[in-house]
Amino acid sequence: MQVDQSQILEALWETLYMTGASFVFSLFIGLPLGILLVVTRKGHLLENEAVFNVLNIVINIFRSVPFIILMVAIIPLTRIIVGTSIGTAAAIVPLVFYAGPYIARLIENSLLEVDKGVIEAAQAMGASPGQIIFRFLIPEALSSLVLALTIAIVGLIGASAMAGAIGGGGLGDLAITYGYQRFDTLVMLLTVAILVVLVQGVQSVGNLMSRRVRRS
Amino acid sequence: MIQFEAVKKTYVSGKQQVHALNGIDLTVETGEIYGVIGFSGAGKSSLIRTVNLLERPSTGRVLIHGEDISTLSARKIRDTRKDIGMIFQHFNLLNSKTVHHNIAMPLLLAKTPKAEIDRKVSELLEFVGLADQAKKYPDQLSGGQKQRIGIARALATNPSILLCDEATSALDPQTTQSILDLLRRINKEYNITILLITHEMGVIREICDKVAVLEEGRVIEQGSVFEVFTNPQHATTKRFVRSVMNDELPDSLLEQIRQNDGTRPIYRVQFTGDSVGQPFMSRVSREFQLDLNVLFGNITELQGIPYGNLIVEFDGAHSEIDLALASIRKDNIQIEEVQQYAG
Repeated sequence: MQVDQSQILEALWETLYMTGASFVFSLFIGLPLGILLVVTRKGHLLENEAVFNVLNIVINIFRSVPFIILMVAIIPLTRIIVGTSIGTAAAIVPLVFYAGPYIARLIENSLLEVDKGVIEAAQAMGASPGQIIFRFLIPEALSSLVLALTIAIVGLIGASAMAGAIGGGGLGDLAITYGYQRFDTLVMLLTVAILVVLVQGVQSVGNLMSRRVRRS
Repeated sequence: MIQFEAVKKTYVSGKQQVHALNGIDLTVETGEIYGVIGFSGAGKSSLIRTVNLLERPSTGRVLIHGEDISTLSARKIRDTRKDIGMIFQHFNLLNSKTVHHNIAMPLLLAKTPKAEIDRKVSELLEFVGLADQAKKYPDQLSGGQKQRIGIARALATNPSILLCDEATSALDPQTTQSILDLLRRINKEYNITILLITHEMGVIREICDKVAVLEEGRVIEQGSVFEVFTNPQHATTKRFVRSVMNDELPDSLLEQIRQNDGTRPIYRVQFTGDSVGQPFMSRVSREFQLDLNVLFGNITELQGIPYGNLIVEFDGAHSEIDLALASIRKDNIQIEEVQQYAG
């Protein structure tokens, strides 16, 4: 094997770092967008056709660009934000552009599952739109939201592996440079195994948390 | 008090316009239980939602205690809604929250202090008979229990009006009865005005003081429950009344009436209240030398007033029968020949 333990640990750390950081930023963007997508639609709390249509289209545009292309396409923007277009920190920018709209859609989906009657009851008891969102919609959807976000994290782990293409580091980078380009099958298998364990772990924790928050 | 003044509601979907409400005029007095009945699609659901502005009337006004709340700011509308409780066919409870939390919700929204909330919630749980269920979740409760929680939640802010949107339609007859008893208690003990919509005439008969019959967005008949049940005018109203009054004539009797050659005329006699106690049959039988044969009948109670309905065959001299009829009518008993009624 052409890599040692410290290289693998470093790559693992980079993957966790990229996934974690981009998840947090994506959530910041995706959560409000997801909420807006729900409440501005026709017949909902804050119906607003213009806002809904713009969001809907913009999110679709981002969602339709493959991550590998998105990464390259927004290099100028990445340079402005991070100061460089290479490295782990630089990889976070395209990851956020990738996962933010994705999370918005996932959150939209979860929130739409909430029974319309619950919202009606909330309105009838004199709740403000903010109260309806934070005291009714989100708590009722929480279990489903947790599962949706688990999907997002798993997606981010996968996408972060591609960030190796712009020198982002991480397990994907390791697998490509050593496993693929230098024919080190062992490294390849090892990184894949680590990714499998990682995804299994994230999914299990997500399932557990989703059950926990079903009743709060 | 709730007043509907020429309320219309029109939904536009594409090029089609749907007139859910076609000019409703109704007044619900303070302290009343007012029932609105209609088949599905009659506009009941839109009507009840105009009261707390879940639906805005397209034209016309709805006055709550004399005030048209549609002219108020969003904040003021929310304040008014706290004075109007609402319960729903499918309860609409938060499944992620305990019974206690569900009932506390309106108080939490109003930022009531915790001690006060706990006190109020215990009191309400006691009132609806679920004091031991506070820590349960809605999906651990039966339909009737869920509706009781819905009622407790609706009462948390001490409203002056309670709206019931098909509140018993998802419940079995026995549970329906217990929920109706609870609603009656709320009306009596807290003097809360209740406006309910239903498609079940039994609900109207059981607890309402007044009733309006809705069809195609119009009120086709309204009045006290007693009036409407004993003397329905419109065909739809008659159908609703028959669904609970069981005064439809059996087929065999209809056949008998159809073959009646007029020598022994058949009459429908309706008597109410005071007239129920009168032994009118034996009296006219004696006075006018008639044989009276009761073919069918029932006596029931409406709004605490006895109400009877008999089909009687008169046998005797026709001149005597005419005199007997006049005498019966003098006693405030309605009587009419059945041929015209049976159809």
